[in-house]
Amino acid sequence: MFDLNIKGSSYDMNLKLAVQAHNYGWRHINFSYNQNEYDDALTFMNDLKEELKELIDIDCTLYIESNNPSEIRKTVRKYRDRSSCISVLGGNLKINRTSLENNQIDVLSRPYLKRYDSGLNHILAREAKENNVAIELFFTDILKSYLSHRSKVLANFRDIYALHRKYGFPLILSSGAESVFDIRTVKDFQSVFEQTGLSSSEVINSFDVAKNILAFSKDRKNLILSGVKVVGQ
Amino acid sequence: MKLKVLPKSQRKHNHYLVLDIKSEEELTKNDFTSIAWEACVRFQGENNTANFNLWTIELIENSEISFYKGYKAILRCQRDFEDEVRSSLALVNNFNRRQISISCIGISGTIKGCSKFI
Repeated sequence: MFDLNIKGSSYDMNLKLAVQAHNYGWRHINFSYNQNEYDDALTFMNDLKEELKELIDIDCTLYIESNNPSEIRKTVRKYRDRSSCISVLGGNLKINRTSLENNQIDVLSRPYLKRYDSGLNHILAREAKENNVAIELFFTDILKSYLSHRSKVLANFRDIYALHRKYGFPLILSSGAESVFDIRTVKDFQSVFEQTGLSSSEVINSFDVAKNILAFSKDRKNLILSGVKVVGQ
Repeated sequence: MKLKVLPKSQRKHNHYLVLDIKSEEELTKNDFTSIAWEACVRFQGENNTANFNLWTIELIENSEISFYKGYKAILRCQRDFEDEVRSSLALVNNFNRRQISISCIGISGTIKGCSKFI
């Protein structure tokens, strides 16, 4: 029950969100901050972790919001060692491609944002699989839209599900919650995605993918090349 | 003249959802019923919602936190359609332009069994 993208804000607000998430059955949440807020967030994150130690695991996601591919590359290089998960906000085709070609990036978030299509095709799907970059779908995109716009978001989700089944790139589902009103129980979250066309095993697998991303990031220093790892002496 | 009650074997089987509601606006039982119906009709369509056999059993005011009011509700729905109903309710996010959130915290086969979730 891993949620890698809850919008982080102040210490008190994060505390409220984390307690609510714990009450609703989540085991680990990541608060996301963009590149301008990330350094400030790290200053109080350890205190927050300490306070919530008994209830829930928390961590920080760097959520890069930029339309410039070279700025994204620079930011990734700067923060790679300091963040457990690096996510890039998609929507722009150039950004989608840059993110999926960079194996230092963990997640491409919302490739369908502000688009008439899913933002992915067979080539990008293959890149995502090769570089092990996960595609992230947001629950709040369904929650906060209605009528024809919601249908279009769901249609984009279904296109991504089809590519996920064919090419096998990692898929993760996040709430994208900004307040306590956006958090739902784990079972509710699962059943919404099951209604949109995923099977229950695929939904559970998406939680495992999120867990693996965090585990992989912790061990990243020991990974020299893909498939080559320094083991304990 | 009243209709005779159907024999037990021919009645519909129901399950009861226990819901945790947070709302910026005060809710009545009628408000909640219309929210639940509208959510189901909107997400699942008229044809599917006809199967759900929705009925509000109870709406209990629970707590008042600084910026929202908390309620617990028991909602009846037909067996085998719990996932459809809970997903529809999870996608409710406003009522009268004020924020609201509905989460299902338990399911039981009897009303009595719901008490352990409240």
